[in-house]
Amino acid sequence: MTPETMIKTNGISKTVTTTQGQLQILKPISFEVKAGESIAIVGASGSGKSTLLSLLAGLDEVSEGEIYIDGQAMQNMDEEKRAQLRGAKVGFIFQSFMLVQSLTALENIMLPAEIAGRDDAKKRALHILNLVGLDHRASHYPNQLSGGEQQRVAIARAFISEPKILFADEPTGNLDAANSDKIEKLLFELNQNSHTTLVLVTHDPVLAGKCQRQLHMQAGELKEVFTHSPYEQTARQVG
Amino acid sequence: MNKLLDKWVNDMTNYTLSLAWRLFRHETKRGELTIILLAIILSVASVLSLSLFSERLKYALTEKSAEFIAADRVLESNKPVELAWIEKAQDMGLNTAHQTYARSMVFFKENMDLVDLRAADTGYPLKGTLKVADEPFTQGIAIDRLPTSGEAWIESQLFQTLAMTIGDDIEVGDKIFRVSKVLTGVPDAGFSVFGGDPKVLILKSDLAATKVEGPGSRIDYSYFFTGESGVLDDYYDWLEPQLDREIHDWNSIEDDESGIGRAVGRAGQYFLLASLLAIVLAAVSIAVAAQRYSMRHYDPVAIMKTLGAPKKMVQQIYLLQILFITALGIIIGVIFGFIIQQLVVAAIAGKVDVSIDVWHWRPLIISIFTGTVCAVLFSLYPLMKLFSVSPLRVLRRDLGANLSSRLIQFVASGGAIFMLMWAYSQNVKVSAILFISGIILVVSLLGVTYGLIWVGRKLGQGRMGAWQLAWARIHRRAMDNSVQLISFAVTIMLLLIVLVMRNDMVQQWQNQLPQGTPNYFLVNISQAQQPNLQQHFVTNQVEIDKFYPVIRGRFVAVNDEKVLTAVSKEDPDAQSNGRDGLGREANLTWSNTLQKGSEVIAGKWLGENNNSDTATQRPYEVSIERGIAERMQLNLGDKLTFNIGSEIVDLNVTSIRNVNWQSMQPNFFFVIEPRALKSFIPTYISSFNLPTERKSDITQLMQPFANVTLIDVDARINQLRSIVDQVSMAVEFILILVLAAGALVLIAQVQASMDERQQELAILRTLGAKGSLIRASVVFEFIIIGVVAGAMAAAANELSLYMLQTQIFQMPASLHLEYWIIAPLAGALVVGILGALGCWRLLSLNTSQLLRQMV
Repeated sequence: MTPETMIKTNGISKTVTTTQGQLQILKPISFEVKAGESIAIVGASGSGKSTLLSLLAGLDEVSEGEIYIDGQAMQNMDEEKRAQLRGAKVGFIFQSFMLVQSLTALENIMLPAEIAGRDDAKKRALHILNLVGLDHRASHYPNQLSGGEQQRVAIARAFISEPKILFADEPTGNLDAANSDKIEKLLFELNQNSHTTLVLVTHDPVLAGKCQRQLHMQAGELKEVFTHSPYEQTARQVG
Repeated sequence: MNKLLDKWVNDMTNYTLSLAWRLFRHETKRGELTIILLAIILSVASVLSLSLFSERLKYALTEKSAEFIAADRVLESNKPVELAWIEKAQDMGLNTAHQTYARSMVFFKENMDLVDLRAADTGYPLKGTLKVADEPFTQGIAIDRLPTSGEAWIESQLFQTLAMTIGDDIEVGDKIFRVSKVLTGVPDAGFSVFGGDPKVLILKSDLAATKVEGPGSRIDYSYFFTGESGVLDDYYDWLEPQLDREIHDWNSIEDDESGIGRAVGRAGQYFLLASLLAIVLAAVSIAVAAQRYSMRHYDPVAIMKTLGAPKKMVQQIYLLQILFITALGIIIGVIFGFIIQQLVVAAIAGKVDVSIDVWHWRPLIISIFTGTVCAVLFSLYPLMKLFSVSPLRVLRRDLGANLSSRLIQFVASGGAIFMLMWAYSQNVKVSAILFISGIILVVSLLGVTYGLIWVGRKLGQGRMGAWQLAWARIHRRAMDNSVQLISFAVTIMLLLIVLVMRNDMVQQWQNQLPQGTPNYFLVNISQAQQPNLQQHFVTNQVEIDKFYPVIRGRFVAVNDEKVLTAVSKEDPDAQSNGRDGLGREANLTWSNTLQKGSEVIAGKWLGENNNSDTATQRPYEVSIERGIAERMQLNLGDKLTFNIGSEIVDLNVTSIRNVNWQSMQPNFFFVIEPRALKSFIPTYISSFNLPTERKSDITQLMQPFANVTLIDVDARINQLRSIVDQVSMAVEFILILVLAAGALVLIAQVQASMDERQQELAILRTLGAKGSLIRASVVFEFIIIGVVAGAMAAAANELSLYMLQTQIFQMPASLHLEYWIIAPLAGALVVGILGALGCWRLLSLNTSQLLRQMV
């Protein structure tokens, strides 16, 4: 693995046990993602996108194969080590926002920094809250915010720890068109500014098209890989 | 353990603490913790108020009851004890007093009578008061001194038998005493009506001059002690090794087998039971609330884990939260418990004439312990489930906890309940009975519930109306509903137990002393007098009870062994209360019918033995009282020999009876078959009730029958009745407290189940179902659950009550058929209303609010 490779998978697969026996939901997949690159995992519902994301993010264990995140072999790690890795290098954005309902917007943003034991959690959170344009909503609870605002809080939370990789699962899936645009714009802007590697799961071709590469999943297999010029894409996106 | 704890605390970062605190603060503010907090508050408040109240009341009753033995503790002895023993007690700060009892003849002119001579020294009675009057058979008033030297106070009946008046002199042994007062009450009189000879009270220092203490005389000595309970126990610990069981007997009111002792004992057990059930109720509500709390935190845990929080950090955050909740719950619970208890005390202050203002620490410690153990142990399994939530839940929303075994839950919850019961009651038997019947109940209810749900669904198939929707919902979540149903059933059952026990117990107490209970007894009515006396009473409009024939018999032998040897070791005369006066002479009666309140516990009642063919040859049958049988080591088939008049009569023990000594009815140790005593001429005894306002008629009523002895037990009955009334009243309040606790548990359960229903209601709402349909279906669902739970509770109630009444309360078991109707109806009503209220809250939100509230 070259130093600039952020994610490397080597024949990873996932098999689950069902009442009918073993079912391979992800067939062996190998690919690499370079640091700072943005990739979209696309495919129909049930194609295995989210499963792949969960393996890459260390939320689930591979049945076979190897995953290296920033050079660290994840398949050898237990849940604790993987959590440590996620805390240090990974940020997340989810379709259903996944904010802690009993914490305010500001506290939700502070959460990863606090988990990591950073002293400047609040200062950083306030700064980033300002960046996403929600400084006036700092003390609001998630259910007092609109969907778009909740997702902005989630984005702010994802970036507070300056992650090396950002995993986004259908980040605009629950939003209307206007909010989707805003979120997409914010996401790519922050991604570019912080040189984060972005792995985005979506079935929205337009959103996928804004990424430098696309991995197409079909029935648990990685079918095609489309590559775009990063500069052209980013220019179109941000400009 | 300490090392582990230290490591745990050291590992905890400031962020963990601050995060846990912030989560706790926000969740409290947002009402997320309301149910679990309420459950802890409830457990602490109910345990504190119940146990503090019962402890105070028990203390008050014991104080009052102590008056019946004239002290907190009494050392009875048939020899004078060493002076050093008494000095030791005084050195320890105890108050002491002493009284000597002798049976002696008293003479007035040519008349004489056997009396119970009591010589008391200064300080007697340490508890309770002496009562005296200036005229026989009148109401006495309390007096706070003893007779002076040369003075004697004697009971009313002695004025009658000796035909004397106040101011006359009587001879007791070698000394002459001036009778200055009528003795109407001594605290340690006991409750036996016929045992006692009339009492004569003199000063201890006068006893020697009478010379009644001498070889062959029957003298007993009582040493009275009062003081702090702990000091009394310490003193007994010091004294015990020096006591000789054959000579000494150490007594407290708890050992008292009289009506008071039993009433206090039984009330204590009832309070204990009520408190135990309150603990179980609180535990159930904490378990329900903790489960709900855990499920509502699956997402936050998954999020934290996803964001890199190590497992230990998550554990610390939630354990800290539980600690915060527990601490807050305990603080509020203690305040509430104290207020409730104070309100109850204030409410009964005017009715219970004993001070109940003594603070006890034990209830406070117990309630804090209960709150902590309940909160921690009942949260354990839900928390373990919570910790096992996979971070993958952030992507796969349907993922729950990974912990599937419920064994830990059952072991932790069951263990916690049993531990609490045991710790609290310090009575393995009560705890085990409740616990085992609880387990049997839960297991059998689970089976029944499954069956009912299956049958209900089959019957309910068809067009989707409210009933069908209700059954469909119950059926779909059969396991959840079974658990819910069982918790409803258990709650209703526990309430029923407390309610029914209270009713049965109070009823029994009141039955013992119904209005019109005889307050006078007539002894020594001759056969010739009997019809006249009966007529005289009818004329004077006083209802007189049945006449019982009595013959005095002298014990000669047991199984041909001379009775002096046979009974000397376990001499019944050394016993107080019901056994006084038995000695070598006993009152014998005959009857073919078993007395009311008596029960044959071994053998067959007189005449029921199947040997009528040889009726004339067979030995005469006698039925003996259980206590005397035990004391004298008599068994079925033993031969008792009595000397009656000048004849020797052999009697064969054919039955042993339990006699209710609390009944204030004439009771006998020996009941003989009538044919044995055909040739003897008996005297009769009877009893009657004379209302207080007619008390002054007594002299006129008794005038024509000078030889008949009148025994006035009015004061004793009033004392007994006042205690019973107070205990009954206290029991009522305990019942109300437990009912309130039960109601709160039901509310917690319904609210918790409403969470589960929220999603379904939102979907139905979204699909356009009318509010009325949804409301009706939820109400029907709860009504069905309420009816079934009520019916199951009624069944389980019978079983538990049977065990409790027969094993713990020593009461006759009884069936409670009315509750088979009341319980399902009440279940349907209460659970239905609670369901409707919970549903109304959800339906008052619009659909988008409903959906948004779903975490």
